[in-house]
Amino acid sequence: MAQSCNCIRGAAKALGPTSALRSELNLLRVPARRTIATINPPHLTSTPRIAPNSLSNPCLQSARTLVQDGWSLRSLRNVGGQTRAFTESASRHKLKTMQQIKARNRGGPFSLTGAVLFVATGGCLYAYFTYERARMTRKRIAEQTKGIGKPKVGGPFDLIDQNGARFTNQDMAGKYALVYFGFTHCPDICPDELDKMALMYDKVKERCGETILPIMITCDPARDKPAVLKEYLKEFHPEFIGLTGEYENIKQTCKEYRVYFSTPPNVKPGQDYLVDHSIYFYLMDPEGDFVEAIGRNFTADEAAKVISDHIEDWDGPLNKKDRWA
Amino acid sequence: MGWWPFSSSEQDGPKKTTGGAFEQPSRSNRAKCYEARDAFFECLDRSNILDSINTKDGRAAAKKACSAEDVVFEKDCAHSWVEYFKKQRVVNYQKEQTIKKIESEGGEIFAPQLPTRASK
Repeated sequence: MAQSCNCIRGAAKALGPTSALRSELNLLRVPARRTIATINPPHLTSTPRIAPNSLSNPCLQSARTLVQDGWSLRSLRNVGGQTRAFTESASRHKLKTMQQIKARNRGGPFSLTGAVLFVATGGCLYAYFTYERARMTRKRIAEQTKGIGKPKVGGPFDLIDQNGARFTNQDMAGKYALVYFGFTHCPDICPDELDKMALMYDKVKERCGETILPIMITCDPARDKPAVLKEYLKEFHPEFIGLTGEYENIKQTCKEYRVYFSTPPNVKPGQDYLVDHSIYFYLMDPEGDFVEAIGRNFTADEAAKVISDHIEDWDGPLNKKDRWA
Repeated sequence: MGWWPFSSSEQDGPKKTTGGAFEQPSRSNRAKCYEARDAFFECLDRSNILDSINTKDGRAAAKKACSAEDVVFEKDCAHSWVEYFKKQRVVNYQKEQTIKKIESEGGEIFAPQLPTRASK
């Protein structure tokens, strides 16, 4: 008897905000208690069939609508403490209103929070694996030329820079180097490529600091003396390093960098000729090993990205100080 | 090119060595040379001449139709550059035709890669 009364009160409570209905229930509480008690007290809390259609009592009508709702039934049972529904979970008791209950149950186990978390986790994993795969590809490229039995590009050289000072491969240690082979009397490709190199250099410097040396080595040492190089390169970028030297030294350097060039060894003063040569940028790491060649098909932005990514991958010592400071 | 200090030599073309090469292949000299080249090539286009250097007929036709532009071209550029550009014009045309031919046959053209860039 007391149980039934509690049930109705609980049902009224569950209806919460619908105050009109609640006041109606309050008015009808006593008849409701009696009616339920007279119908089928022992089975009330164990079956939803306690409220047949023929019942005319409005309180019972509303109790029936509650009972028809699966959750309400479980709630009633719980309050009664007689049986324990197998799908019951503690959190459900925190839900106070019918709206909350309905909102909670509408989407089943799916919710907006769950969806957002799922998508966010998936996105993070995808981004991470994409990044790792790109990094491993770069690492493989960078390490392809390290160790024994690999094609060796680059090596020791002994040349003179545009100020007439000696410049060897030792001066490249501790920094990345972007090495380009060209000559000042080049009609159209080298100037374009050097303009691109200036853009690349500025972009890499902006992202990675003073970690890279922009070097142009001439394939035409007969005409490209230090003063000529200095005059020529300052039109492209004030920080470019131009290297020249004796014909034999240049030839040896080109051989080490696997650069083809076709300068005639003995030229007369004032002779007019062109030099055919390879047109790749060579990216060298701080240990003097070849990393990657960048061809004409790269734009300045693409090349700067490739170079900067390699620099950021480097975990060895890196000299970030300005060479001339 | 008014901001460039070498513009005093504009009337006579850039300074050249006895062999016909630039003394200073500076940016302004290059720009002047490209200008002369473009003017010469425009003239060739008008006269429907492709090759102005490799064949005897081509040389004769170019001399007849565009000798004035050719003189300026030679004056403003190193002689080796003039030859280079004239040959490049033919090569570029052939390259374009080849690309068009390949593309019309449904093929694709990839820029050459060094073997170290195995995958991209």
